[in-house]
Amino acid sequence: MTKALELAERAVAAAEGDGVEAVVQAERSGFARFAGSEVHQPTLIENVSIFLRVIRGGRAGAAASNRVDGDGFRELADRAGAAADASPEDPDLAGLAGTSQLPDVDGNDEETAELGPAEQARLAADAITAAGEMPVYGFFTSGAATVAVATSAGFSDEQTSTDAVAVALAATESVSGYAEQTAWAVRNVDPAAVARQAVEIAGRTANADALPPGSYRAVLAPYAIGELLQYFAFDAFSGLAYLEERSYLCGKLGERRFDEKVSIADDALDPRGLPKRFDFEGVPKERVPLVEDGVLRGTVWDLASAARAGDSQRSTGNAPPPAERRWGPIPFALSLAGGEAESVDELVELVGDGIYITRVHYLGIVEPRQGILTGMTRDGTFRIRDGKLAEPLVNLRFTVALPDVLAEVPGLTRETTLANEAAFYDERFAYGALVPAIATARFDVTGAGGRPGI
Amino acid sequence: MRALCEEAVAAALAGGASYADARAIVRRSQAISTKNQRVDRVDDVESEGIGVRVLVDGAWGFACDRRLDEAGAREAAGRATTFAKAAPGKHERALAPIEPARDEYRTPREQDPIDVPLGDKIALCLAAEEGMQNPAVKVTSAFVRAMRERKTLVSSEGTVVDHDLVECGGGIDAMASDDEISQLRSYPSAHGGSSRGAGWEYVLGLGLEREAPRVGEQAAALLRAPVCPSATTTAVIDAEQMVLQVHESTGHPTELDRVYGTEAAYAGTSFLHPGDLGSLRYGSEWMNITADPTTPQGLGTFGYDDEGVPATRTPIVESGVLRGFLTSRETAAKIGSGHGGSMRADSWSRMPLVRMTNLHLEPGEGTLDELLAEVDDGVYFETNKSWSIDDKRLNFQFGTQIAWEIKNGKRGRMLRDATYTGVTPVFWGSLDAVAGPESWVLYGLTNCGKGQPGQHAHVGHGASPARFRNVQVGVAPS
Repeated sequence: MTKALELAERAVAAAEGDGVEAVVQAERSGFARFAGSEVHQPTLIENVSIFLRVIRGGRAGAAASNRVDGDGFRELADRAGAAADASPEDPDLAGLAGTSQLPDVDGNDEETAELGPAEQARLAADAITAAGEMPVYGFFTSGAATVAVATSAGFSDEQTSTDAVAVALAATESVSGYAEQTAWAVRNVDPAAVARQAVEIAGRTANADALPPGSYRAVLAPYAIGELLQYFAFDAFSGLAYLEERSYLCGKLGERRFDEKVSIADDALDPRGLPKRFDFEGVPKERVPLVEDGVLRGTVWDLASAARAGDSQRSTGNAPPPAERRWGPIPFALSLAGGEAESVDELVELVGDGIYITRVHYLGIVEPRQGILTGMTRDGTFRIRDGKLAEPLVNLRFTVALPDVLAEVPGLTRETTLANEAAFYDERFAYGALVPAIATARFDVTGAGGRPGI
Repeated sequence: MRALCEEAVAAALAGGASYADARAIVRRSQAISTKNQRVDRVDDVESEGIGVRVLVDGAWGFACDRRLDEAGAREAAGRATTFAKAAPGKHERALAPIEPARDEYRTPREQDPIDVPLGDKIALCLAAEEGMQNPAVKVTSAFVRAMRERKTLVSSEGTVVDHDLVECGGGIDAMASDDEISQLRSYPSAHGGSSRGAGWEYVLGLGLEREAPRVGEQAAALLRAPVCPSATTTAVIDAEQMVLQVHESTGHPTELDRVYGTEAAYAGTSFLHPGDLGSLRYGSEWMNITADPTTPQGLGTFGYDDEGVPATRTPIVESGVLRGFLTSRETAAKIGSGHGGSMRADSWSRMPLVRMTNLHLEPGEGTLDELLAEVDDGVYFETNKSWSIDDKRLNFQFGTQIAWEIKNGKRGRMLRDATYTGVTPVFWGSLDAVAGPESWVLYGLTNCGKGQPGQHAHVGHGASPARFRNVQVGVAPS
């Protein structure tokens, strides 16, 4: 892999300005995607991209390129400079990250970084073989992504993060089940176990029943609550959305709005997640409390939104990749604290009468300010009766205000799972939510879709 | 770039591939946005590289390299063949035959959008923002984008095609808020405006500055509007929202790779089956859907797709009956119909997938006012706000930024937080009117997600306002 930090420093040196910031993303990854137990979309990627932002005379502009030769650097600097010169002056531009004490984190595994196409194909084959007669759909992917940031204010460092993800949907025309595992070390990902779990769930979904719309008690598996929380968080826990009055937290900071069992943080330092030392602006990562014991505590910030907020607000190290910078700070390491339940069965017993949801599909943000989301359940929706999992259900449409879902929480499992939230668009950036299974007293079903299966 | 692609294809064949194609791409794109009268983003991005796709003993392999030189081409080919050879299982794949093309295609344009000075683009955004100012509007934003791409495709069958493409687009947003709620209005389209495969003249013709006062006023007015009530009623849907309705409930379900299950684990499959072709009643007689990569200015307009299949207009639904699928050469061979033509990759670093090109709801007749005139009681929906649809593309729920009640054939009160929901063939079966060609508008979406690793396709859609009876409107949230 190209030496990312060296490239970042060369880019800074090539530019002229009062402030210069370079972000290099280098990627080596492989994706063995399979369908019907056959690899059909295998993708090997090697790329380096350089994002260069120049500030001069109170004007800022940026350019990006994946050309790393001498001409490439010169042209990149010229284009970034031209972009800055074309911009009107902005007296309130945020400063750049300077030197700082960075935390030590895990997250870089040599074995994972060195996986090649043969190993990636073999790990996909492990899932396919383990599923036996049941067709499986999914992927095994692994990659090493290096982020280097250099600024004229003195920050200069790089970090390499590895990730491995196995996803399996076991399905026929009439049944389907889903499972996944994500980790920064491939030794903690077992594609065969993932496939077996998906097959086991699928085996219980035949002859699914309909369910009338209504408000139900529910148990949400980690994949389901993880995705719901991530979608909610894009607006709710964003400092920029807070300033722009799109966040659920507007006017509610310090109030207890969720069940006291609910504590949420953004914690990129947790070794159980996908740890990072600094964000895409070079600001150190830290654990950011968002909800403590049901009380709304705060949002995440990047340099620009923090500067705009004033009142000595500082960045919490949540700047997204350069291509996503326009969205403002994003909590990419959500962590919902576990509870006291020893098992999902215990949550099912707590719910007594309700529904169990393995996974949600195609979420839409209906109303960000109220945290209203819609989506469908899939690949393992079950009725809960008499404190036990009962008959399978058809896929259900739900329209829920997530604050309502979190307002009364009978319990959470002690164990948490890292749910993959990345779809691997653009430059590789793996992220996930560390979440337990959760029981809720309110989950609003607003319609019904088809039966499980493909 | 042609020589590099030929080098890659030769290396793949030498490595054991029975088929290979290589795409070399040089792309430059600019994104400019302003927010609350300040520059929010001035990005000028360049990316280049080569992607090589191979078939080895029936197994696909794909690899890419950012280096546009001989080493990059050869090494990408080598990795692709290695990956294909390692693929588990037995493989058998056929590709629908095509006549190898040696051709080139260029997007017609008056002014290359990349050549427009950045300062002019910023000035246009700031001027458009100015018109949206309103005491209740807390956030205004304006944005424009420009893209130029040179792409060369070479295949082992003899295809050599060069593309010289441009795109550009823009839009404006106004967000009003009070202590309780926030409301957004956009023009010409939500989620990043609208784009076309055209020169900068398209952006200038959008009239962002002209529309800005209306957008700001409507955002503010929505704060005082009542919530759209729940009812089973008549829905009249504007062209912009119809575009997303077409995209989600006819575009994705008719992608033949989804029908065969290859997107099952992520984006989902389809309620359609291969045997439905020619017989399935998708909707009412007013429903006519066409895939047309030859549409002037479409974001899905090209000379040849990423397999070298020439652009061809294809009926998908005719008078409510399913007549076609969106296909690749592989899926076309599998179903025994067609020859592909919808394979597209979002960059040099991704493998082509079956994607929409330009998928249109063909116009009917009459005007929007004439559609409304035949509604005693209903809701008129305008501009998408939220969307969600199940993994088989059956159960959907859409929300729009703004709506109006329809009373006795005319627009009445403004409504906020309007949603409607339905099941695809039932919903399309309730279509009883589509407005005429004078109301037909071509939009371009740049955020169509699919594939793992993910890809954003740029697709074109044209539609006129349409009327649906007995629609579930206003799903009550918690």
